[in-house]
Formats: sequence, C-alpha cells, structure tokens
Amino acid sequence: MTIVSMKVNGAPVSRDVEDGTLLAFFLREHLGLTGTHIGCDTTQCGCCVVHVDGRSVKSCTMLALQAQGCSITTIEGIGEGDRLHPVQQAFHESHALQCGYCTPGMVMAAVNLIDTHKEPLTEEIVRQEMEGNLCRCTGYHNIVKAILSAAEKRAESRDSARV
Amino acid sequence: MHHLRFRQPGDIAEALKLWAEDNEAAYVSGGHTLLPTMKQGLAQPPVLIDLTRIPDLRHITAEHGRISIGAATLHADVAASDTVQRQIPALAGLAGSIGDRHVRNRGTVGGSLANDDPAADYPAAVLGLGATVVTDRREIAADDFFKGLYETALEPGEIVTRVVFPVPEIAAYAKFRHPASRYSIAGVFIARTGKHVRVAVTGAGARGVFRPKNIESALSADFRADALAGITVDPATLLEDLSATAEYRAHLIMVMARRAMTNLGTTQTYK
Amino acid sequence: MSDFKLNERILKAVGKPLRRKEDLRLLTGKGRFTDDFNLPGQVWAAMVRSPHPHARIVAISGEAALSMPGVLAVYTGADCKADGLSDIPHNPVPSTQFDVKLTGPGGGKVFIGRHELLPADKARHVGEAVAMVVAETRDQAKAAAECVEVTYDVLPWVADASAAVGAAAPRLWDEMPDNVLVDASFGDAEETDKAFKRAAHVVTLKTHVGRVTGVPLEPRAALGHYDAETGRYALYAGSGGAVRQKRELATVLNVAPDKLRVMSFDVGGNFGTRNRVYVEFGLVLWASKKLGRPVKFRAERSEAFLTDYQGRDLVSEVSLALDKDGKFLAMRASNLSNVGSRCVSLSPLSKGSGLITGSYHIPYATLRARAVYTNTMPTQAYRSSGRPEVTYAIERLVDKAARELGFDRLDLRRRNLVGPQQMPYVNAVGSTYDSGEYEANMDRVLALAEWAGVEKRRAEARARGKILGVGFANYVESSIGTPKERADIIVRPNGVELVIGTQPAGQGHETSFAQVTADLLGLPFEAVAVTLGDTDIVSAGGGSHSGRSMRHASTVIALASEDLIVKARTLAAHCFGVAPDAVVFDDGLFRAPDRNDSLTWFELAARAEGPDLPEALRGGLRVRRDNEMHTPVFPNGACVCEIEVDPETGGLDIVRYTTVDDVGRCINPLIVHGQTHGGIAQGVGQALWEQCHIDPSSGQPTSGSFMDYGMPRFDNMPSFKTQIVEVLSPTNPFGVKAGGEGGTTPAPAVIMSAIEDALSDCQPFELELPVTTLKVWSILQRASAEKRKSA
Repeated sequence: MTIVSMKVNGAPVSRDVEDGTLLAFFLREHLGLTGTHIGCDTTQCGCCVVHVDGRSVKSCTMLALQAQGCSITTIEGIGEGDRLHPVQQAFHESHALQCGYCTPGMVMAAVNLIDTHKEPLTEEIVRQEMEGNLCRCTGYHNIVKAILSAAEKRAESRDSARV
Repeated sequence: MHHLRFRQPGDIAEALKLWAEDNEAAYVSGGHTLLPTMKQGLAQPPVLIDLTRIPDLRHITAEHGRISIGAATLHADVAASDTVQRQIPALAGLAGSIGDRHVRNRGTVGGSLANDDPAADYPAAVLGLGATVVTDRREIAADDFFKGLYETALEPGEIVTRVVFPVPEIAAYAKFRHPASRYSIAGVFIARTGKHVRVAVTGAGARGVFRPKNIESALSADFRADALAGITVDPATLLEDLSATAEYRAHLIMVMARRAMTNLGTTQTYK
Repeated sequence: MSDFKLNERILKAVGKPLRRKEDLRLLTGKGRFTDDFNLPGQVWAAMVRSPHPHARIVAISGEAALSMPGVLAVYTGADCKADGLSDIPHNPVPSTQFDVKLTGPGGGKVFIGRHELLPADKARHVGEAVAMVVAETRDQAKAAAECVEVTYDVLPWVADASAAVGAAAPRLWDEMPDNVLVDASFGDAEETDKAFKRAAHVVTLKTHVGRVTGVPLEPRAALGHYDAETGRYALYAGSGGAVRQKRELATVLNVAPDKLRVMSFDVGGNFGTRNRVYVEFGLVLWASKKLGRPVKFRAERSEAFLTDYQGRDLVSEVSLALDKDGKFLAMRASNLSNVGSRCVSLSPLSKGSGLITGSYHIPYATLRARAVYTNTMPTQAYRSSGRPEVTYAIERLVDKAARELGFDRLDLRRRNLVGPQQMPYVNAVGSTYDSGEYEANMDRVLALAEWAGVEKRRAEARARGKILGVGFANYVESSIGTPKERADIIVRPNGVELVIGTQPAGQGHETSFAQVTADLLGLPFEAVAVTLGDTDIVSAGGGSHSGRSMRHASTVIALASEDLIVKARTLAAHCFGVAPDAVVFDDGLFRAPDRNDSLTWFELAARAEGPDLPEALRGGLRVRRDNEMHTPVFPNGACVCEIEVDPETGGLDIVRYTTVDDVGRCINPLIVHGQTHGGIAQGVGQALWEQCHIDPSSGQPTSGSFMDYGMPRFDNMPSFKTQIVEVLSPTNPFGVKAGGEGGTTPAPAVIMSAIEDALSDCQPFELELPVTTLKVWSILQRASAEKRKSA
C-alpha cells in the first residue's frame, strides 16, 4: 500500500492504494469517476483514455502510482461547469456517439489531438491519429466530422483572437 | 493484479540498489509492454522499479554526427523532435508510427528495446542504423544486442540508459501491419553512410530482428530500388502465422524494401 | 393493421434531425453502465471455464480455491441442481405468425438442448462455465478460479457445421440421434425442378459466411442482489430487453416475475449479443441469495470474445436457373446454420430462409434449412440476423451468372427486380414484401456513387499502380421481432413521461420516441421524457432487436395517445362543464370553443390530480396501451463500393462506399444515418477482418483479443455517402420499416463484389470471407504464375 497524490480535474487528491492499482480503476473505484471506461484487456480500444500532464494516455495500462504527482484530466473535467467543451458540443451536433461507451475516451483523445497537432487537421490525419480508439456503433464517419468541425472552430476563434 | 511493490528511484544508483534487493524485480518504463503482460498473468514481478523519474534518462541530444536518445524518452517526443526530424527523419517517422498516439505518449525506446518484441519497430532502427545501446555498465553495439526472440544481450538487472544513433547520410523505414494487432509483419529500415548500407528487418524473422545480407550487398553496390530485383529472403528463416505465411512475409520484405527506397530522407513509413 | 390514421399535419419534430437527449450524460461521463453500479458489501464472481471443446465433467474440487484469500464460495452445476434451478427458457424457435416455421428432421419438434446456469454433465464448448468462484475482490475471485480443480473426461469434438451433420460426428446431445436439430424444406419442389429442367443456364455457388462476434465495447457485466427483507431480487445488467430477461431469469430462479427487478440503463452496444440471458446473470442473483451479499461479475474482453453469444456461421449452397435472356426462372438453396453447443435462437436461420430470393422475382424456389449443433459457443442473432448471409449468397450468385453468361451485372439485376407494381410481393418461399421501389433504389445509388465515372477512376488508379474494384449489391431484408409492445404515457404538470419496453443500446429512443410522442400530443419535443430499462417501471415490452423498435413503438404510442386524448377530452369537458364532444383538441390545446376556454396538457394534468374529481376521472392523466402486430416489414436498398487493391501487397483500401436505404418513414434522419454508418462498419468488418477462428486440429478458438480479431477502425474505414428513401409501409400507422440493419445487410456482398471485380482477370478462384490481404495476394500470385506458364 502506498499513498498516491495527484491532481484530478484540478483538485488535489490523495489515497492509500495497493501498488498494483491501475490508474483506470483508481479513477473509477477510488474516486468514483466512472466516466472513464474499460473496454478491453490488451490496451487497444481506447475507452480508458485520459490526460496525464497534458498527454492522452490509456489509463488501463498505467499504474496510479506511475501518475504520482501528475495532473490528470478525465471526461468529467473537460467541460466548464454546465458548459460543454467545444469538442463535446461538436460530438453532440454531429451525432458522433450512439451507445456512449467509447465516448469518454474518444472525446479525450480528440481534445488532445486538436490541442496538440501542429498542422491543420484533415480527414486523413484525423483517421490516422485516432486509430487508437475503437467505436463499434458509429462507423467513425460522424466522429471524424465532429473532430474536424471542432478543430475548425478552434482555428477560427484563434484567428479572431489574434485579430 | 497480483501483489506488487512499486518504487520510483531518482537516479540510476538507487534503481540498481533496488534491483539488488530483489532479483525478481522488473524495471518499468512506459509500461506498455510489461503491464499488458502482467494483466494477462504472464509475468508477476513482485517489485516494479519505475525508471521514468530519473532525469538523465529523458533527453534527445545531437552530438558530433550522432543523436543520443535517453532510454525513457517517449516515442511521441522522438517523433516530434526537430533534431530527429532534421537529422534522421526515418527515425522520427518510425517513432511516430509505433502503436497509436496514446501508446506513443507512454512508450519509450528503452522499454521497447529491453523487451525485444519480434514485431516492435525500434529494433529495426537500432540495428539498421548501427546504434549503440548504452547501459549503466557498458556500451553494446547493435549487432551484439539482439540475441533472438524476446532475448537481448542485457544482463539481469542491467539498465539501458540511452541509445546513441549515428546520423546516416540517408535512411528510410517502411512497414506492413497486421490487420488486427497493428504490429509489423514486415518492417524494413535502410540506412546508408558512404558506401555502407545497413538493412534491418523486423516483424518477420523467426529469431527476431535481422540484417538480410543479400539486400545490404545489393544496395551497397547500387543504391537504387531497381537493384533489389531478383533478391529474395528465404521463407524458412521467417515467422509464420494465420495472417501471414512465411512466403508472404518474404514477399512483403522485398516490397517494403523497395518502398523504403522511395521514402529515403522522409518520415514516411507507408503504414 | 390498426385503425389509427396518421394526420401528416401534426408532424413537426418527426422527420427532423434533432440532436439527442441522451448525449449530455454520455458526453460528460455520467452514463449509467452496469459496471458503474456498486452496492454496499458487494463481492465478486469469476467463472471457471472449460479448456476442452467437449468433455464430461467427472469431478470438481473447490478445496484449494476455498482456502485462498477472500474466497467465500465455489459453486458447481451440482449445486445448481440441488437448489432446483431451472434451465434458461431461451424459446429459440421463432414463432410469430410470419416467421418461417422451422421444424426438426421429418417435421418433428426441434430438440432444444438444455441451458443450465452451470452444466452438471458435460462442457460442450471451450470456455463454457463449469463453476463459479465468489470472493471479496475481483482479483481474488479470478486467482481462485485458476485453482479450482476440474477433472474432465475428454470427448471427441466437432466444430465445423458440415462435419457435424454426419451420422458419425461426435454427438453433443445424447437425446438426439445426431447433431441436426432443424431440417425443414420450403417452396415448390415440383415447379422448381421443372424450371431447372427447362433452363438455358444454371449457375451454382457454395459459400460459407463464417462466424463473427458482436464486440459491443462494454463487456458484459451483472450485479445481482437479493434483499432478504423484501424477498426480491434485483439485477443490474445491460441487455437487449429487461422485461424478457426478467421473465426468463424468474423462471430460472423459480420465483414469480414480480420478485425480480431487472435494470438495463445505459447499454454499451448490443447488436444482438445481449438479446439473450447469460448464465452469469442468473448465477450472480442466485449466489447473492445464498451469500446474503450483492454479487458482481464483469467479463474480461478475452472472456467476451470467447463466450459472448456469437453470430452468423452459415453454409449455403445455391443455384439459379435462367432462361437464355437472363430471366431468373427458379432457385435452389440449402442452408446450414451452426448454432453452436446450445440452441439459443434460430432467428438467423429462420429470417434468412424467408429472404433467399433477395430483391428478385424468382417464381419458384426450394429451400432446405438445417441447423446443427457443434462444440462451439452458441450463436444467435447478430446485426441483421441471417440476412447478410443470404444476401451474400444471392448477390454473389447473380454476379457469377453475369460473369459466366456474359450479361452486364446491372442489367441482369434490373431485368429481374421485383417491381413496385408487384407489391405487396409474395416470394417463392412465402414472404410477403410489403413495399419498396427497388429499381429506383438502383438508379439513385448509381447516381450518388457516380457510377458513370468508374472507368475513369479505374484508369486513374491503374496509373498509380492500384487495381480498382467496383462492387454492387441490392438487398431486401425483414424486420419482424417480438409482436407485443406496451406504452404508458403519463402527463404531469411539469412534463410528459413515456414508458416503453424497447431497449436501446445507442439507437436514440429517448430522442426519437420523444419526437413521435410530442407530435401526437401537440407538445414541444423538450416536454417529453422517455423512461426505459427498469422493470419496476417498465411492466411489459419486447426489447430491441430485428429493427422492431420504432415500428412497434410508434404504433403503440399512436394508439396510446389516441386513448389519452379521449381521456383528456373527458376531463377537459368536466373542467369546462361541457359535453366531451364539445371539446376540441388541436395543436396541444383542449378548447371549449363555445366557452372561449382552453386548457393545456399540463393544466389538465394539474386538474387530474385534484381532489374534486368524479370517480371515473381520477388516477391522473395517464394511459396504458398494449399492441400486438405480426406483419413484418421489408427494408430494402442498394449499395456500391469501390476498393483499391494494392497488387504488391494484397492491401485493400475502401475508397468509396455509397448506399441508398428505404427505411419507410424516417423519424430522425440524423439517427438513421448513424445507424446505417455503424451497420456498414459491422458488415465490412466481417467482409475484411473479423473471424472467430477455431484451430482445426485442437478445436481451440484463437481469436481471443483485439490482437487477433481485426476490427473496423478509423483508418481502415472510409467516409460514406448514405441516402434515405421513404417508401411508407402500409403495415403500420407511421409507415415505418426499419433503419438499424440495412447498412449491414448488403455489406459483405458488396465488398466481395468489388473484390471479384478487381480480381476479374484472375478468375476462377475460391475466396471466402474474410477477404484478407494474404488471400488477395495469393490469388494474384497464382494468376500471374499461371500467366507466366502459359506465356
């Protein structure tokens, strides 16, 4: 058992955990943040994606202790109070979710992609960069639309901010 | 998961000391090879020694015609590095083709090498560039590092601290992926420095990453894709499974070699 | 069909691409999936699974397991028997009025192998649960499960359907003479034989559409709780229909249905995989009573690959008789369905049987439909149950006829399509297609797909070193489903609640049903909330499968709203002090024109709760309505796809995928397009990557994870061009057909059509799904080797 301390969605958190506790289970079971989902056991589906120190990672393949001292953002933490994050809003507009199970990981992956990708996003780049997230319901078509739409809006607001 | 103790040493000496206390301990870097193995119950080390908080182990430094990459440097950072993109774009491209974005945000070169997964990409770059694997106690030339499937020259407890890649004149990587796992079933790295051409193939060899001498000779004599005409790799030396027979792999190796020759000097990996 | 006449004037929300009400909670991590629920004191179950495809269970010892940390109990089939647990009553033989009636050999009853929660006699497939361990934590339960000692007497096994049919094949059920549980024939044998005799051409094809699995991203899970105080059980478990699961599990536990509450709130994908009860659901309920603590189970993904109910696996031998001008004269089909080790649902075989002639007028046909037991995981309905298999067979057969006989494949189809003037059309095996404009579908999809530019694109691909293959497929499929549905509509002062017994897992019922209800009541869409999935509130209903939901729901909601309006008018009349037929209901308002008085629904609802009401009007402003509909509907359409083949590697890249789908009335096009997209992906997945592979020498399933089981992903799927067509069905008030499965139905056929087009120079060749790069490369290799030989 070891005490793990980190920031989760902006708030400091400290818990005594079994050393072998995976980050995904720490979030779900110790912190009650059940938005992060488990979909597979081979690190391939992406349902568990969260941000650790600004990077998207698969929380099922990370120990909570590996995130000691880090800053974690989960799906519960990307909106602002009642307001949806622009990516969440884009998903809603474009019908980029059906059953919703892959959605938290998908949104977290998309947010990170839009925030960090240097060149403007195209359909080809989105499809390549999102290959680590599986969806069984949507056929991906609308998710691509949502991500491109959110990226475009972000670029527009950046441009208008600069003006 | 099974009961284990997790340790985060701040330097190499501490890491070695922790290992000495329990020889069943395992080093962990990004954990994207070790943790899945532990989740399947195939490995149950009682102690995990996390190497990623050791400052020396994370760097990308250019030095006299070589690039030193710390063992705990993330694939994502190698892929995004201006230095690597300018000097060895094939290496940046290879790093950027590993797994997916999220895997690249955790996976490290040290972790990838220490495991020597037959389908991993890095062994092709290390062997293809003739890199040097630097550990806590010695330097190991690439040609001496890879011993077989999942087997390296590393001694128990030995820690990879950095990998030094000589900057070639030009290099390229091309790979063909398994449709499900997305690991390489044939990945070819080609690097030329002067008259010297090194070629390394991953994902296909029955004994792990290997250098096909006939391809190297052909390209050393004539560094053009056409020089590969008529060259074949012996299927008997290759892996065989449901998605790819040995014949298919042999064929793909040559296709990827030709494609690498058209990717020279770029980050393109034709995945 | 019911008497309800839909007045198109009222439709405001219906037909609009309204954004979904479900999204907010799902986008913000507030979904309520089964594993999100926890109960105080809960413990965990892990299953002990057979490593053998077929073995007698000689003895099970839990001694070692029981001594491990945290372990509370080890249960076996003997314990289930001792407690008198009943078998799961899957009721697998489709029996609605219009289902194709499958029988056992010689017309007898179909032998349904028992499905106990834990078998006491034999394990009949690799992965079959033979014992359950319960422990304080999930890790402890899993570790202890490894230490349960099971002594098996290994038996010979058979996994392949064709091999299982023979009299000498290892037998799964001692009660049967062999493994064939269904052997039924349909159609007019005499006329078919005559037609084949006089045919100018006969084309035959044998094909095997293999086994796949649904892979809903939420692994199956269950949390069971027995409350000793109330004597009631509660189960949280994602399902395809909480009401059905409650009924069946109550039977298993030998309790009255009202002693069990089943809750399927948010369900992470179904696709048929969750339509039937899993043994773990009954086991956690039973164990929770025995232990006095809630018991939770969550499958690993590898467990899901191994033991989710699987799909498809049909061997089809088909032949088509044509006259010299290419007119279809007759068809013969022999279909063999691999149901696995237990009969859970015969829907795939039954539904496919009704559609063997596809979109074409084939006057005579015979069909032999058989189902066989094998030592594999049981199969049941999976997206478009049975229809992709038969669509694949007929469309490939037509392509083959075109190829071999020198007809243009589109012309040959047009010439033989069922025409709109033939609707309702009774096909040669007795299915009555309700409505559809098949040739118009073809015209539309060919235009949308820019068919005219194909040769130009082919040349352009060739210049880049790629071979372009273009595929075409028509389809018609059927939506039948459980015939009964119930709707409760409750109007309260602050809003309307619709309670209904369908079970969405992403289809958006909270949104689309609200659209229907709102329009029928003349209310804004925002005012209607939909309640699903909790059997303490949802008293009856058919769940979601076979594309049944909107058709049944919209009908019963229409009838319920009619009843509700009558009730409301009576109440309004009382409030106004007029006779009920002096009350006018229009656009959501109840008016007494003579009195210049009006009441909204919500005002009426407040009155309905008032104390000063006559007896007859008390009880709130609410209705309950049941409806039963048997008449099936036949969604239909056409699709085109273009695939670039890389001749160097056999690599495949889908560059275009275009569909036209007649779904009848489309309630929400945003949702329906989404269903088409997802359906396409699942069909394409089967065509190119997915396969539940079994090692032929050991009987071991080898596709146990995403490492081996290839999936449609962002980077191997294209964007789609999908068009919705609305030819209203005359069978129900809203004219709904179904939109959930048309994407999948023609997908394997159209992909194969494209591949065969790309590789036309290599004909003849044998190719079965999935079309892997290795297979494509091998065909190209062989063809060029033969070319070199003959050169």
